Amino acid sequence: MRFPFKSKTALRSFAALAVAGMAGLGLVACSGGNNQGAAGSATSGTINWWGWTPTNTNEANDFIAAFNKQYPNIKVNYKLVGISDYQASMRPALASNNGPDVYDLQPGAYVQQFGSYAEDLSSTAQSALGSDWKSKISSIAVDGLSSNGKLTAMPVGSTYAGSIWYNADLFKKYNLQPPKTLDEWKQVCQTFASNGVGCFAQGAAQEGFDQDTLQAISNSVEPGYWTKASQGQAKWNSPQIAQTLSIWKDLFTSGIMQKGALGAQQYPDVNNAFLTGKYAMVMMGSWYTQYATQNSMTQALGSAGVAGAKPFPILPMQFPDVAGKGNTSEMFGDADYGLAVASKSKNRAAAETFVKWMTASTNGQQVVANRLDTTSVLKGVSPDFNTIKFVDPALQSGPVNDYLKNASSVDEHRFALLNSDIENAFLAAAQSVASGSATPQGAAATLQQAADAAKANQ
Amino acid sequence: MTVSTSERLTRAVGSTSRPRGRRLQASGLPWILPALVLGVGLIYYCIGYTVYISGLNWDGASPDPLSVGFKNYLNISHDPVFWKAVWHTAIFFVVTFVVQTALGVIFAVIMHSRIKLAMLYKVIIFVPVVLAPAIMAPVFRQIFAANGQFNSVLSHLGLGFLAQPWIGQESTSLPVIMAITIWQWTGLTFVLYYAAMSQIDQTYIEAARIDGAGNLRVLWSIIWPNLRGTTVSLGILSAIGALKTFDVPWLVTIAGPNNSTQFLGTYIYQMTIQLAHVGYGAALSIILLVVALVMAIILQVVGREKADR
Repeated sequence: MRFPFKSKTALRSFAALAVAGMAGLGLVACSGGNNQGAAGSATSGTINWWGWTPTNTNEANDFIAAFNKQYPNIKVNYKLVGISDYQASMRPALASNNGPDVYDLQPGAYVQQFGSYAEDLSSTAQSALGSDWKSKISSIAVDGLSSNGKLTAMPVGSTYAGSIWYNADLFKKYNLQPPKTLDEWKQVCQTFASNGVGCFAQGAAQEGFDQDTLQAISNSVEPGYWTKASQGQAKWNSPQIAQTLSIWKDLFTSGIMQKGALGAQQYPDVNNAFLTGKYAMVMMGSWYTQYATQNSMTQALGSAGVAGAKPFPILPMQFPDVAGKGNTSEMFGDADYGLAVASKSKNRAAAETFVKWMTASTNGQQVVANRLDTTSVLKGVSPDFNTIKFVDPALQSGPVNDYLKNASSVDEHRFALLNSDIENAFLAAAQSVASGSATPQGAAATLQQAADAAKANQ
Repeated sequence: MTVSTSERLTRAVGSTSRPRGRRLQASGLPWILPALVLGVGLIYYCIGYTVYISGLNWDGASPDPLSVGFKNYLNISHDPVFWKAVWHTAIFFVVTFVVQTALGVIFAVIMHSRIKLAMLYKVIIFVPVVLAPAIMAPVFRQIFAANGQFNSVLSHLGLGFLAQPWIGQESTSLPVIMAITIWQWTGLTFVLYYAAMSQIDQTYIEAARIDGAGNLRVLWSIIWPNLRGTTVSLGILSAIGALKTFDVPWLVTIAGPNNSTQFLGTYIYQMTIQLAHVGYGAALSIILLVVALVMAIILQVVGREKADR
């Protein structure tokens, strides 16, 4: 087969064109550029919102529908990006000119990694709530989304962990009370085990939930010590943390933690196992409040693969006093997620309108609050329980209300004070202690090493 | 070697019309140009860029990365997780290659024995090759969970004492990953051996039979030596596959528990994406590239030497 070039010059010209064309294409494809996007109109346009949450796209669409009642000319497209893919997806998207206009941020590693691509929303918050805007929003939510004086995202809701949710029907069936100490917890688990029911389940293969349990145990050993260590004011290789890890190990050896926990993921494994009634207790936080309602519980059971199942009432309980020192293990929390406006957005004004409505308007926050997925951050807004239907209102209404009231007064951070290296070290420490390949003291020493290394890298 | 009439004619025509070099250039270069530009422009450029960022302390986003020279490589040499990943890769390669080879040869021999329903068996053996790991991973997570079907089967067989949380403990998680990989890729090994066996001259086997060789003797002394080329190719593919292993350990065990199923691919992902140590991840990637090249060259040379004997 021949190529139809008559002369060497023609061939060279073609070659040069081809190379230039390919190089041009490559440049266009690869160039991220650092250009600032345009402001555009504040009341019209199309904006793209990317987030790992709401995990239920119906929830996001409900928010958008409510927003559109007030701003009908701003079209919002929500794209759910799985949390396991979020970092991998967002880095190239935000570096390009075709990324989202609005995106989710979480305190801690996400703020550190993606906060630089976001607008400083301090002035937006000020224009929405006035100069004293900080006093009108839950402070714990604002702190975690701020970095070097820049408000990288405005918080939609806050989330609190360190609590356990239990299947009230199973406890009633075996005439059990929620355990308040480690010994009671072991006895409860023995009763469940003797009846062929799983007791407590946790996805110990994933870092965040291990950290929740460790922080809850630590708060039982010495309240506030975890936060001090997170702030660098106390050591991780201390007797307190070694004791925390010893108790963590005890959960595995005494039959409280489910078998194979180190290979289980909180979502979907443990969540599905709890919702299908295989386990009586699960380590979940305030985001689990939504499953106290008839609608969300029914939807969740369907997602867990239980067709036609009858929703059962779930109730929150405080983490037991596992250290036996009489310390109540308080919850801890952060902004669940905040909405950031991408600096490169070509519709920044419309994006800011949406973010302001979601985070700083009573209407937006009321819609958020009523979903019970995340706790609204705007002070004065709380779930309207007249419109929310619990699975068992008489049983759940009181405890769930109290739980949310307690959560709103929490002032201890969950993830905001730790970077991803230390969080990774928590996973390694938790797993190595649980599997017996490290002693609690040895694992505590690795936590301090990770903290020292992170400090040296700053 | 004989030269065909058309080739002779082409050469004769070429010698009288134009200089031969120009003709080759005119007819060949434009065809390879797009691939050349893509290859050099994308692949080699990316390798060069990865080498560059492997000398940085960079999170992949900040505008002012810090140059650290060879520090990332030095740190890797002291990194216990890296050495764990290397060790897992080596074990993984040896076990999966040996088992897949043995099963592939056995299945191929059986299928050449004119058994009934051979086509059905071939399909069954090959189907795992075309199933995406992302689809199968949740299935295996379920099967090997503490209360999963594998333990259930063991209990029903009266082997309940062997039940384990297979993917929830360090001692059994890597064997599970290897078993899944063997299940997935034995079909390909089988197909290649099946095709290679079809190429063996039947007269060798008939001669061996006349000399009184039994089945095992024929397999060991006639068939197996004739499969050497296929085995070397599979060895190279397995070695590179082991170095690139990512999907199964990541989707089934998230490289855990406690790094017990950590591989170079998963560690690069963790470092680069999850922990934002892009420079460190790039250095790991370059090491992976060098190891893959060295391994491929060694296997090629070893295979060629044996074939030349």
